[in-house]
Amino acid sequence: MTRSAIRPKWVLMLLAIALVAAACGDDDAETTTTAAAAGTTTVTTAGDDGDTATTAAPATTAAAAEPMVLVAAQGSEPDTLDPHLTSAYASFQVLENVYDTLVQPGDDLSMEPALAESWTISADNLTWTFVLRQGVKFHNGREFVADDVVFSFERIIAEGLNGWRFGSVESVTAVDDYTVDVTLTVPSPNLLVSVAGFKGMAIVAKETVEDGTIATNPVGTGPFRFVSQSPDGGIVLEANSDFWRAGEGLPILDGIRFVQIPDAGTKLTALRTGEVDWIDAVPPQDVDGLSSEAGITVGRVPGGDYHYFALNQNRPPFNDVRVRRAIATAINRTEIAEAAQFGAATANQTAIPASNGSWHLDYAPYQSADIAGAQALLDDAGVADLSIDFLVTSDFPETVTQAQVIAAQLAPLGITVNIVDVDFGTWLDMEGNGEFDAFMLSWIGNIDPDDFYYAQHHTGEWANFQGYSNPDVDALLDAARVETDSAARKALYDQAAAMIVDDASYIYLYNPDNINAWSDAVGGYATRGDNAIRFVGTFLQP
Amino acid sequence: MSQFLTKRILQMLVALLGVSIVVFALIHLVPGDPVRVALGTRFDQDLYDMLRERSGLDRPFIEQYFAWLGNALTGDLGLSFRNSQPVTSLVLERLPATITLAFAALFVAIVVALPAGIISAVRSGKPLDYAVSAASQVGISMPDFWAGVMYILLFALTLRWLPSSGYVSFLESPIEWLRHLVLPAITIGLISGSVITRFVRSAVLEALNQDYVRTARAKGLSEWRIIRRHVLPNAWIPIVTVVGLQLGFLMGGLVVVEVIFAWPGLGRLALTAVKDRDFTLLQGAVLYIAFMFLTINLIVDLIYVRLDPRVRVS
Amino acid sequence: MTVAPSTPMERLPEKPVSRSREIWQTLIANRLAVAGLVVLALLVLMAVLAEVIAPFGINDIDIPNRLTGPSMSHWFGTDDLGRDVLSRVIIASRVSLQVGFIAVGFALAFGVPIGLVAGYYRGKTDSILMRLMDILFSFPAILLAIAILAVLGPGIRNAMVAIGLVYTPIFARITRGSVIVVSEEVYIRAARSLGARDGRIIFRHILPNVLAPIIVQTTLSLAFAILSEAALSFLGLGVQPPNPAWGRMLAEGRNFFQQAPWMGIFPGVAILVTVMSFNFVGDGLRDALDPKQKSVIESRGQSV
Repeated sequence: MTRSAIRPKWVLMLLAIALVAAACGDDDAETTTTAAAAGTTTVTTAGDDGDTATTAAPATTAAAAEPMVLVAAQGSEPDTLDPHLTSAYASFQVLENVYDTLVQPGDDLSMEPALAESWTISADNLTWTFVLRQGVKFHNGREFVADDVVFSFERIIAEGLNGWRFGSVESVTAVDDYTVDVTLTVPSPNLLVSVAGFKGMAIVAKETVEDGTIATNPVGTGPFRFVSQSPDGGIVLEANSDFWRAGEGLPILDGIRFVQIPDAGTKLTALRTGEVDWIDAVPPQDVDGLSSEAGITVGRVPGGDYHYFALNQNRPPFNDVRVRRAIATAINRTEIAEAAQFGAATANQTAIPASNGSWHLDYAPYQSADIAGAQALLDDAGVADLSIDFLVTSDFPETVTQAQVIAAQLAPLGITVNIVDVDFGTWLDMEGNGEFDAFMLSWIGNIDPDDFYYAQHHTGEWANFQGYSNPDVDALLDAARVETDSAARKALYDQAAAMIVDDASYIYLYNPDNINAWSDAVGGYATRGDNAIRFVGTFLQP
Repeated sequence: MSQFLTKRILQMLVALLGVSIVVFALIHLVPGDPVRVALGTRFDQDLYDMLRERSGLDRPFIEQYFAWLGNALTGDLGLSFRNSQPVTSLVLERLPATITLAFAALFVAIVVALPAGIISAVRSGKPLDYAVSAASQVGISMPDFWAGVMYILLFALTLRWLPSSGYVSFLESPIEWLRHLVLPAITIGLISGSVITRFVRSAVLEALNQDYVRTARAKGLSEWRIIRRHVLPNAWIPIVTVVGLQLGFLMGGLVVVEVIFAWPGLGRLALTAVKDRDFTLLQGAVLYIAFMFLTINLIVDLIYVRLDPRVRVS
Repeated sequence: MTVAPSTPMERLPEKPVSRSREIWQTLIANRLAVAGLVVLALLVLMAVLAEVIAPFGINDIDIPNRLTGPSMSHWFGTDDLGRDVLSRVIIASRVSLQVGFIAVGFALAFGVPIGLVAGYYRGKTDSILMRLMDILFSFPAILLAIAILAVLGPGIRNAMVAIGLVYTPIFARITRGSVIVVSEEVYIRAARSLGARDGRIIFRHILPNVLAPIIVQTTLSLAFAILSEAALSFLGLGVQPPNPAWGRMLAEGRNFFQQAPWMGIFPGVAILVTVMSFNFVGDGLRDALDPKQKSVIESRGQSV
């Protein structure tokens, strides 16, 4: 095929026309932008005076009765909105406000009534009877009854990610529409925390599971009703006027819009400019600066999470307790916490923080940065020129920072730390296959000591990737699980915890603070010790 | 011509098939699997086995592929493993944002690069050339995440002219759409523009040195006229090639820019799919990207023919 | 690479030795190219002697002195762990230069021949090669990288292969685009009709005439390769912390943009200097290699 020489010109002309047209179109648009930008500047100035509602949704603000909609920025995207099938914190931030559990952690994290008004325990401690609140409605208008509890619990046991929490549950039965019996195989003093400690144990509407809409259109009994989810609009919730606490005037916000801003710096900027009213976390290095900034409140409470690392006891020489203790005594936890969290954390040699008053154990047997003591232990074990493949993940960047600090702290002992930094999917795989000398992560959302210790340190349990096995600890943890007397139970856990620390099964580092930040226009919200994000009772001041 | 098109479209289908096979093979080579990632740190062997069985992940690799392929041929790309949503709709709902950003960025890039590259070539060796050259090299050396953060701090935080993040659909509010688009488009557009500038300069310089240009000069034609009549027509091919490459690259979504500006594009979706090892979702995203890329390449090849009559369609 | 004059009608092939000398002379007559060569040599020297030059170690953590600005003791300031940024920039040059050169070299070595063959032969060869390139280019680089990690194991060498692989189709496409045009030139047709062997035509006549876009792409890719090392590092493919690389330092510096801009600025400047000097050399090399271009420069020089 041949073409005349005219053709290139023809193409050129078309291109030129297209370019000119595009350029003109853009010029027009640009003019509008400038106008719009100027307008917004004014609005934003108003926002500085506290008028965040106006700035939050400039596109939709009509003059008259303005709905009070909070814009909440999340650092990651919910994967699914099915509470039983997600492990994503971003999903729970949303679902906390949509669903209810039988009981729930109160402000002091002790369990308080929610969908169950009261509960009783049989004399043999093997049957818990929950009396349900009457007249509670799902967001689709149907009344909540005992069958929903049975259905939800059976679904969690059969296919939920948290079925393991029902380990001691034999059956769940509806006695009548408003009474549920939970029968156990062994006494379980922590049953309330197990079956209602967070929204992974939410009571869901059976019909949404059957028609498959639960993942995208959650229907709960909570203070807010799910409206929509889209890549540009985020997740929109509206107030549930039939909420079972409507008598107290709750909820107060008219709605919540969750937007996803994955970059921490951008998220912070969006709060500062008033584009969003609340953010789920603050980069540690910005906490101090932000706290003193006008117009912004930083909520900060000691959290129940803990950061740790563990040495692989299936591999020599880490099966030698002296080697593990040497490392535990050579590190400087305060420096690690300071490096990674800029002071927004408390160094701890055990798992449970002091803020968890009922279960905390004040125990710190290791000297900090005791190189001489550590060297003596290593010499005693006959170990020299130790090299550690240290598994961390950039998906939790603090683990990378901490590993570098630990590498520096262990260097005087002649220990070489080879940091293996992989994505979390690979990390999980390598952890599961035992491909590490050491791994580092954190455990989050712990309330009861059983959450802190059992799965991680009991021989052969599913989270015991470090291969720890101490029959005494096993016996103590087993006994504590079924001990119904609180004081006796605390004594058992204290003994187990001390052994775990002494054996350096985990080398605990610190408990980080839970931090949220919000515009001063937001009222009636508090950062919680369990990191649950509850907007019931929150309001926006004009 | 129609024969040529038919052939190319057939080739495209074969290439797409190739892409799907490679994606499938790659995702199975990568450590970690979707169930393991979904379970997170709460690992439970029974639950793991059950979920694998339910999602068909326990079946042999080849069998899984053909099951997927069978559905794909009927237009069903399957459900995302993580949230059971149809992959097609997950990809489609991200498309407007991705296409918008790709074209806006390309627009910025071309508007910057064409004049800059031509001037730079015409004034080759002069101060203006060095200035353009230096600017484009800064643009190339400056990573997108660094530039993006700078623009956000300057235009969103300090000056408060533009929003820091998010995407508003054009239908909802054209003005907000544009305001949200400006910063990400400039971030990536200036980088692309720096790349294209280098090629424009080089191509124009090449053409300027041809004999016919010297002849035209000797005839006393004005410099602008020479560029328009003799230089540009001969410089288009490398320029079109690089513009096509840039567009193909932009159409695949831009992970970093999308993360920084909270832009709901395909790049983030594909990244999430990789992280979650969600292979059906990844297949969908990659197939779309491949399709776009192949189409753009086809168009580029057609433009070659239009631009240079000597280039035959094969 | 031995290079031949591109237009047989104009010049008879001379001895290759004198031709290379001619190229070298043209190159060193170009002041910018010389400056670029000198800077590149210094950078390589710095990389070789990194440990000797660097005033501090790469992981000398000093939390109380974190995020301090440039000072007499720390010329480039300190990072979020109190480490000396200057030392890290110096030591990072080793990895970053390697990544840049080897990854781009890989892409050149595979991409250019593929583009030459596809563009010269057209037809089936072209279709197959280019569709293969399309498949390769369709993948998210990040997935390719993780897969390479899985197959080859982690490490900086594999990171270089991964980056090189990502850039190969770009070189192939760009080369092919120019080859298609050059193949239609009169002298190529003439050479073909005179019965010259294909290999000879491709390497002696076509390659020298398509070098311009390839050189431009090479210098561009160098910058992107150094930067993309950062992305791969995060996947465990690149250099592992605390070992520094410029791209990774820049990426980490982003989080401290407001508190400590020097964390990112200095590695950024290092990349810029490398890219610029490489560009100067590239431009000079292209001028020197292209006989037509040279004659024009000469004629212009005379007319001034």
